[in-house]
Amino acid sequence: MFKATIEASLLKDSIEILSVLVDEARFKISKEGLSVKAVDPANVAMVSFNLESEAFEEFEGDDTEIGMDLTKINDIMGVAEKNDNIVLELKEETQKMEIHIGGFSYTLSLIDPSTIRSEPRIPQLDLAGQVILNGSEMRKAIKAAEKISDHIMLGIEDEIFYMEAEGDTDKVRLEMTRDQLIDMKAGDARSMFSLDYLSDIVKPASKSNEVELNIGKDFPIKINFEVANGKGIVNYLLAPRIEAE
Amino acid sequence: MGSDIGSLLKKKNSHIEDLHNKKVAFDAHNVLYQFLSIIRQRDGTPLKDSNGLITSHLSGIFYRFLYIMEEGIKPIFVFDGNPPELKRETLDRRKERRQKAQHKWDEAVEKGLEEEAFKYSQASVKLDDYIIESSKELLNCLGIPFVEAPGEGEAQAAHMVINGDVDFTASQDYDALLFGSPLVIRNLTITGKRKLPGKNTYVDVQPEIIDLELSLSELEITYYQLIDVALCVGTDYNQGLYNIGPKKAVTLIKKYSTIENLLKSMEYDDQNIGQVKKLFLHPLVTDKYKISWENPNKDKLINLLCKKHNFSEERVSKAYDKLIQKTNPIQRTLDQF
Repeated sequence: MFKATIEASLLKDSIEILSVLVDEARFKISKEGLSVKAVDPANVAMVSFNLESEAFEEFEGDDTEIGMDLTKINDIMGVAEKNDNIVLELKEETQKMEIHIGGFSYTLSLIDPSTIRSEPRIPQLDLAGQVILNGSEMRKAIKAAEKISDHIMLGIEDEIFYMEAEGDTDKVRLEMTRDQLIDMKAGDARSMFSLDYLSDIVKPASKSNEVELNIGKDFPIKINFEVANGKGIVNYLLAPRIEAE
Repeated sequence: MGSDIGSLLKKKNSHIEDLHNKKVAFDAHNVLYQFLSIIRQRDGTPLKDSNGLITSHLSGIFYRFLYIMEEGIKPIFVFDGNPPELKRETLDRRKERRQKAQHKWDEAVEKGLEEEAFKYSQASVKLDDYIIESSKELLNCLGIPFVEAPGEGEAQAAHMVINGDVDFTASQDYDALLFGSPLVIRNLTITGKRKLPGKNTYVDVQPEIIDLELSLSELEITYYQLIDVALCVGTDYNQGLYNIGPKKAVTLIKKYSTIENLLKSMEYDDQNIGQVKKLFLHPLVTDKYKISWENPNKDKLINLLCKKHNFSEERVSKAYDKLIQKTNPIQRTLDQF
């Protein structure tokens, strides 16, 4: 069973965290809360998202797994006011989700979880460099890079974290010293990423004051941040782009 | 062309982005027929260079496959070898139809009937040595590998998917499934919108994936029975049974379990059925193929397309630059770590 009440803005943010990578997702429900692992169709990025039961206004759940169409939920969220409380209730017999928003009662068909791409294997990575910075600053840098190129280099050199984008003719570079960052662990770090993906991922991350980046050398990047005052944890993993020899 | 079993199969719409990094074996003849029939002027005249040589197929391969490669798909072309003897009748019939269409096309052009002319020009498409050789030349410039099938191209493509060297067979026909290809993808070589036949409306074309295993379980028949169903409906190698469509064929094969039993009940003897079955179950294929992709060569492309066949150098060069920009640096996937 599953019945929960959640603040509209948190539900909206949660859906956005997932929908930047996938249209449909499997939600694992338990007493402890809700969790999702999903990989994008191209197998370039994955997300692992946990929302503790305490993040909800009310939460009751037993072990079960459901599949939901994120686009549909996003669409109906349009009628919600920011401070509305949204009630979600799983109707197991009919495999439908009842969603109460404001005065509206929606009944949404669920998706058979077995038809949704299975949970990804999470690669074990040893990433030497770590940077913690403000989410909105990160987003600003990504936006600047997008004006110049479709990929960006992230790295650490001599205790300086840099983000650099180079297009056909132009270049932009942002450097941040230890003082300008919340924290840094210097290590061998230099990897390039697609801005298509990175700007999508950074959008939900930009609302967080502390975004943790783990960077290696030509390795995937781990991007971690919290939502709902620490009661929700988001981990993204994005594969790098690599220059051809 | 091919067996008319499409309506039975479970198709799933897909997006081209979902095919990133996938290796796709294209039925070359199927692709070339498409380009040659679609890429034409309003009166049906194909694109030609200053020497009068047809270039519709080159234009199709160049622009469409650059797009396919930009999306990170790894294409392979599979060319037909010698057709099985049992296909002779079908081939003769096609030839005849082509010649008739050629004649009607000429007439329509003379009368100034554009729509008619276009229709008949499409039916008159022929793949001659020049078309095949110039296509291979272009594939070389693009760095796209091609495989020469000993027999049917679709059978060879299916074989490479079964071997695990390729992810999908791409064809508009369904025969690759009869040759056992676990996954077949349609519509990759068609752009954005498609005209509904005989109507003036257009629909969006999306890639469509057919999963053999899924289709079989949906129909509740085995792979062998699917071949029997196709034999009832008719294939490139046999005529099929009189007045039996795909749906009825499934019902009958389920009832009689094999086509042999069904024929017996109809007191009808077809000596060829066994042989045709064998063509699908044990087609002539080879394990001697090498698949590797090279970088496209700009100089060679300009030389072939622009110097030899009068393509616009500006357009070719722009399209090439776009590909390089989109595919370099190379996007890695998470399973590589």
